[in-house]
Amino acid sequence: MNIQMTLAARYLRGRKMRTILTTLAIVFGVLMIFGMNTILPAFSTAFQANSLAASGQVDATVTLKSAGAFDAAVAERVAAVDGVRVVSGLLNRSMNVTADYFDGDPSIPDAISALTLVGLDVDQATALHSYRVIEGRFLEPAAANSGGAAEAVLSQSLSEAIGIGLGETLSLPAAGGETELTVVGILPSRVLPGNEEVLVTLAQAEKMLAMPGRINTIEVNYNSLDETRRAAIERAILDELGDTYQIGALEANSELLTNMRLAQSIFNVLGILALLMGGFIIFNTFRTVVAERRRDIGMLRALGANRRTIFGTITTEGLIQGLIGTALGLVLGYLFGLLIIYLLSPVLQQYMNVRIGSPVVTAGLVIASLVVGVGVTLMAGLLPAMNASKVTPLEALQPVVGVISLKRLIGIGFWAGLAMIILAVVALLTRNVSLIGLGAILFIVGLILIAPTLVNPIARFFSGLLAVIFARSGTAQLAEGNLSRQPARAAITASTTLIGMAILIMAASIISSVHLGFGQVMRKSLGSDYLFVPPSVAVWGTNVGAGAELADELRRIDGVAVVSSLRFAPAQVDEVAVSLMGIDPTTYPLVSGLTFSEGDASAYNTLQNGRAAIINPVLATTLGASQGDEIEMITPAGRQTYQVAGVGGDYLNAKIATAYISHANIAADFERNEDVLLQVNLAAGADKMAVESDLKAALVQYPQFRLISGQAYIEENLRLFDAAFSGMYALVIFLAIPSLIAMINTLAIGVIERTREIGMIRAVGATRHQVRTVVLAEALILSALGTIFGVLAGLYLGYMGVEAIRFAGFPMEYVFPTMGVAIAIGAGIVFGVLAAIIPARQASRLEIVQALRYE
Amino acid sequence: MSLISATNLVKVYGSGDTAVSALNGVSLQVEPGEFVAVMGPSGCGKSTLLHLLGGLDRPTSGSVMLDGHNLGDLSDAKLTELRRRKIGFIFQFFNLIPVLNAIENAALPVTLDGVRQAEAQALATEWLERVDLADRLDHRPDQLSGGQQQRVAIARALVAEPALILADEPTGNLDTRASEEIATLLRQVANEWNRAVIIVTHDPRIAAYADRIIFLKDGIIVDQTVLDPKMGRNDGQAIETVSSKMLAFAD
Repeated sequence: MNIQMTLAARYLRGRKMRTILTTLAIVFGVLMIFGMNTILPAFSTAFQANSLAASGQVDATVTLKSAGAFDAAVAERVAAVDGVRVVSGLLNRSMNVTADYFDGDPSIPDAISALTLVGLDVDQATALHSYRVIEGRFLEPAAANSGGAAEAVLSQSLSEAIGIGLGETLSLPAAGGETELTVVGILPSRVLPGNEEVLVTLAQAEKMLAMPGRINTIEVNYNSLDETRRAAIERAILDELGDTYQIGALEANSELLTNMRLAQSIFNVLGILALLMGGFIIFNTFRTVVAERRRDIGMLRALGANRRTIFGTITTEGLIQGLIGTALGLVLGYLFGLLIIYLLSPVLQQYMNVRIGSPVVTAGLVIASLVVGVGVTLMAGLLPAMNASKVTPLEALQPVVGVISLKRLIGIGFWAGLAMIILAVVALLTRNVSLIGLGAILFIVGLILIAPTLVNPIARFFSGLLAVIFARSGTAQLAEGNLSRQPARAAITASTTLIGMAILIMAASIISSVHLGFGQVMRKSLGSDYLFVPPSVAVWGTNVGAGAELADELRRIDGVAVVSSLRFAPAQVDEVAVSLMGIDPTTYPLVSGLTFSEGDASAYNTLQNGRAAIINPVLATTLGASQGDEIEMITPAGRQTYQVAGVGGDYLNAKIATAYISHANIAADFERNEDVLLQVNLAAGADKMAVESDLKAALVQYPQFRLISGQAYIEENLRLFDAAFSGMYALVIFLAIPSLIAMINTLAIGVIERTREIGMIRAVGATRHQVRTVVLAEALILSALGTIFGVLAGLYLGYMGVEAIRFAGFPMEYVFPTMGVAIAIGAGIVFGVLAAIIPARQASRLEIVQALRYE
Repeated sequence: MSLISATNLVKVYGSGDTAVSALNGVSLQVEPGEFVAVMGPSGCGKSTLLHLLGGLDRPTSGSVMLDGHNLGDLSDAKLTELRRRKIGFIFQFFNLIPVLNAIENAALPVTLDGVRQAEAQALATEWLERVDLADRLDHRPDQLSGGQQQRVAIARALVAEPALILADEPTGNLDTRASEEIATLLRQVANEWNRAVIIVTHDPRIAAYADRIIFLKDGIIVDQTVLDPKMGRNDGQAIETVSSKMLAFAD
């Protein structure tokens, strides 16, 4: 063992550059996989910390499955269940506040951007919890506080964060306009994760949220500690209430979590691809290493090293590189996670008011990354190690000559590859997203399998092209010959370039298509002259909207032609969480508009008659529903059937399962009367400045909204898009770099194996320049091979990716990535030239006599 | 009993129309302490003979007995073990591992045999001192001259105390002075340290150091000459004897 470690370590040290480049390949792969997987838990933790239940402090929390509000009398029904000791009905609302709401100072970062308003029945709540007030007093029960004075109780940590103490006034946004609360008591600092809470009486909360007589959570304590008995009590409660209720917490942001998981899967796929490329490169490098060291290996065998020792030496080298690469990948992956969080935090803060902590590292993830990183390295080095162990002692004494492969190239590999490509195309036609994904992998593998057969014709074609460029020097033919004698090796090298280019083109296709598709939808959805935007656009439930009075006030402004508002209620259809958007069917199409994939604008009229809904493509795909179908929604009053009037979506809700119903229905069935977003169009010829100033004035009482012009809002969103996608492009370019390493290695082997040949051509009169040109030509042909296959694969994958996303319900249109293809071709040429530099220099510097004597 | 004996060795490379006969029935014996040189024109099969004697290659027919073992009966693993313990190899191009220093290179055969590092390096140091490289122990091959590298190779060949040393053109890559030093050393290995030494060479000056010279031509032994032990090895007479033999059997 010792000699293997010594040899492995020395050889690695002896070729530092190559060791570094090879190890880098593993670093990339592990960095991606590990980094990405530390981010999702960080997001989950942050989102879950925003959830509303104080789980662990009560025996059970009863909520509606759809997360809506219900009659306060339901709490009495729960209290009447045998085994229930005490209940407390709450009206909770997590509210995001606009930037600088408390400190009013844009230069100071906000300490608090979200808090939870908790409306409680004082008698019930104090029976369930003990509130240890450290300053002042607790809230007074309704009977005692008949004056209806607006009181609030805060934690000490919240009080300090916003700088409002006992006896002072706390202003909060509310549906009826900003509300002032007097702080009457301070509780100990909050230690649990999640939003800070502002406790008010139930009546006060109902008033602020425009939900009279409503609660949305019932906290329950049982009278038994026995597990079986408690389970029975739980069942009894659910039997009493019916299946529209659940025992569990109110979870905001669950749909976002789903999207995060989708993003995580994409990054995992990228990470796996990066590791695969790393594997190719390790394989290539070890082949180079074994070729270079045939002499040493043969000599070791001659001296008495057995096959296992040789195998062990090569494998140990691989292990060392794998361990170092993985360790580095873990460290850099963590930093990568930090970077992503740092880049995304402002976005999340602005749109979802979520503060993300540091990347989450679990022992399981570290172990999994280690296994994957080291595993891929060891596997990639397996075949070369086995070949090394087969080197005979005689090879120590004989010249190293490249084997000429004259086997039939059109063999099983070719036909299998062709079959896979055909299957992949068929998969595309099935319109099934998972099958399409499988088809993508089949396509790439198929291309790699048919590559060796196509090496010769392609090499011949390109050498003809190069012959024109390097006119009359014979170098292009030599280069082509060098590659053709080892088509398998050329194909493997080209495969690494293939994967890199394919990813680049695929990303380019998807990004351009998304840009176009979303861009169109965005312009339609946000095309009004002005918007009143709440703090959280993607997660409606955490916004406090405005009552109808604001919209009315806006309509009265001179110069305003149309005011249309969106309302929100959470709902559930067939176990699927649905975002319900209430729209005014008459005014909505005037300021905005849905992009229809089934049905048309007449669907708006249908919304006004009875229970009808327009569902967005995501929801349609999830439910498998289409125009004319009926869906059953869970509402606070029970289940209601809605007819699907059409399938269409808007930009703001593009990624979330959404249904659009009328204001009337959202008020009747879901008791929602708050406007969470308003859009305003001006009359023709209106004085823009004057209107804008009036709009601003109307907002004073509603600090939960931000006024922005439609154009500015679209630009803001487009900028976000571009930022996110530049990140993607950078990532993709990262992945293309390892293919450079693979090419360098292959060219290096070629030079070693043809040392005598090179000596010979020099001896018969070739200049150093011509020798360099041969190597360069070889590199360019290799690169052309990889780029052609890569572009083909990328175009197919891009098309397939766009179709897959479209079938999943997002509005997309395929755009041919002309720019991407141009960049890929340019990159291919540049890579070819770069890869040739070192081997060409080595080849040209060979001393003729030494080369001829090379044995 | 001879240390090593070959009986009717035949080696054919390739098959059919492209078959090449490297050895056509060669038999020889070498005793412990004997220094034998194998000479002949290019392509006569001398390197092939050496490979077969050292178990690096297998004959098409015929057998090689080394220290009582028939090499043809041994598995690859057993042959490998034999090479570690019974045979020392010296090659024309030194074939030192470039990333190991002199001690580590010299210690390789015993290290591969499982001897602990400290002990292996002690043995290697002893042999390196005997071949006058005491002041170069931690030098890497690229820091040693050609002659010094070959000395390391000789120390390596001896470190496991093998009974047989096989050398393929050991001076082919060295200048005259270094060549003579190496030849003297090999003679010492045979006569003083009592190993059997078989070298392949085309240089009559080096062959003149041997006790016996075997001439190969077209795959068979055409002559064997025993040099007078009283003859000085680097004086003109021995060299002339060898040269004239070479001329006689050359094409």
